[in-house]
Amino acid sequence: MLKYSIKRLLQSLFTLFIIVTVVFLLMRLLPEEGYFGDAYEKLDEAQKEAILTNMGLRDPMHIQLMNFYKNLIKGDLGESITFRPKVPVMEIIKDKVPYSLYFGLASIGISLLVGVGLGIAMARNKSKFWDKFGTGYVVFIRAVPAAVYFLFKQIYITGVFKLPMLFKIDNPKTWILPTISMSLGGIASYAMWIRRYMVDELNKDYVKLARAKGLESKKIMVRHVFRNAFVPMAQYLPATILFTIAGSIYIESLYSIPGMGGLLVEVIKRQDNTLVQALVLIYSSIGIVGLFLGDILMAIFDPRIKLQRKGGAR
Amino acid sequence: MEDRKVILSVRDLVIKFRLRGDILTAIREASLDLYEGESLAIVGESGSGKSVFTKSFMGLLDANGWIDAGSIIFEGEDLAQYKIEKDWLKIRGKKIAMVFQDPMTSLNPLKTVGKQVQEAIELHQGIKGEEAKDLAISILEDVGIHDPENRYKQYPHEFSGGMRQRVVIAIAVACNPQILICDEPTTALDVTIQAQILELLKGLKDKYNLTTIYITHDLGVVANVADRIAVMYAGDIIEIGKCEEVFYNPQHPYTWALLSSLPQLGVKGHDLFTIKGTPPNLFYEIKGDAFAPRNPRALKIDFVKRPPYFQVSPTHKAKTWLLDPRAPKVDPPESIRVLRQQWEVGNNG
Repeated sequence: MLKYSIKRLLQSLFTLFIIVTVVFLLMRLLPEEGYFGDAYEKLDEAQKEAILTNMGLRDPMHIQLMNFYKNLIKGDLGESITFRPKVPVMEIIKDKVPYSLYFGLASIGISLLVGVGLGIAMARNKSKFWDKFGTGYVVFIRAVPAAVYFLFKQIYITGVFKLPMLFKIDNPKTWILPTISMSLGGIASYAMWIRRYMVDELNKDYVKLARAKGLESKKIMVRHVFRNAFVPMAQYLPATILFTIAGSIYIESLYSIPGMGGLLVEVIKRQDNTLVQALVLIYSSIGIVGLFLGDILMAIFDPRIKLQRKGGAR
Repeated sequence: MEDRKVILSVRDLVIKFRLRGDILTAIREASLDLYEGESLAIVGESGSGKSVFTKSFMGLLDANGWIDAGSIIFEGEDLAQYKIEKDWLKIRGKKIAMVFQDPMTSLNPLKTVGKQVQEAIELHQGIKGEEAKDLAISILEDVGIHDPENRYKQYPHEFSGGMRQRVVIAIAVACNPQILICDEPTTALDVTIQAQILELLKGLKDKYNLTTIYITHDLGVVANVADRIAVMYAGDIIEIGKCEEVFYNPQHPYTWALLSSLPQLGVKGHDLFTIKGTPPNLFYEIKGDAFAPRNPRALKIDFVKRPPYFQVSPTHKAKTWLLDPRAPKVDPPESIRVLRQQWEVGNNG
């Protein structure tokens, strides 16, 4: 287990290294106007050249890359160029993460609780009311574009419950709607997957054996079926949780939450290369760490996953 | 055998299933007396209803099936009247336990083997924790698993097929039942392992004082383990008797056909005997003897009236008009005549 974890960790670091290097090199291929922002028109060639040299962009490519990694090890991701000039990248991100993290975690909590509950109810009452109700909900949420039912919610729910629309940090009532909005999709997918995996498990022979040995169906559900059905979901849980840092573009802009959502799109548009690099580094680390933790979690839950040796199960 | 106590008595059981809007009759007024301590084999081809018949003793019919008529009397109660799970929990495992066909899928892959045996013990034997664990280990040893202390902690995927079947048997035994139903316990195993498992089941039957029912289509298994044989066809028991009686002096044309298809009874150089046609469609009502359409020796009455049981000996009876005193003399196939001769020689000498 430990050996496997270390091996996977090294692999992850290597993947990360490749991603960051490729992105770094690709960024150097972009046109250079972006580095000057609005000042581009006013500067002459010599000034531009001076600025670029000053930023180290005229050094040979491998030196630039070395410098980038040296700073990275020191924890310095550089300063923003055009988005908020001269502000350290970490500062910008640090301000935004808490909002995205709060809403993300709250919505995952609600999604898991309600979604898994609904999924279990659906699996236990297959082809009956709860199953049909849940299926209806899942189909609706997944098929109808979010904008449609968000609009509906804007118009009616805000009116009926007297909930304020826009997010204000010091008014807890304004936190409710965005949290619910973010949970709707999660509830649908957790319900769908739990139902699916539980129905799969329910049809397996070991459930029949458990029944034949006299275990009541409630206990079969809890001790055997639910536990086994949750394993395939556990794999994706860490990645899902970590990715809440990235925020939700749509919901954050809808409620004007100053979170991370949309930041990457924004800084690419503004060609803020240091910020783009930093964000790509963060997002890919999240993805890789998430998958890594997922695999470890899965291996803890499922004894059939042999970690050290390759080859058949038996 | 006659003086033995009847432990389970099934009378005129009818079991129906609803399939895509149609109703299928899987068991047609089947009756059976199970004697305490005996070992009964139910044989028949696929779809003859042998599994469904025994599953109904434990309330394990699929959701689309139900007991339509008849009774299953066990310890003074009629199991056919049980409707809710709470009733069945008094029977399942505690009184009647079952060993399933496929050991590869019968165990929960994410729980240790020991915990799964222990779960059955804690459920039925009123002990918990360490004490239950010790008992689980000793039962694992009883079913022939070496080094049970370590094996207790292992997961099903670390066991071979035969070993897993031993664990499934251990779970059944751990319930401490009176009746053990083995639903094709060796079908999924290879031949060398089959013999070991049958030997094990025979040993456990004596040690734990079990009454056993084997469901199988393998007559070789039957010969090995059974005191009595019940032959099932189209949802009814058409012949039942002591092992030797059914093997050497079969009466029903279906039993003849079944035995004639055994490779051991074939004649070298001749094609193996096969039963022509297919089993009747259970969606329709069956008239007369269900086997008549496939039976070249069928009498006229076989197509009109369902035969009752005719007693051959105190322990042997069959549902065929051939046993009626008014029936014409019909000769069984040659292989069956040979068997009868051996039987007569054996009885006289």
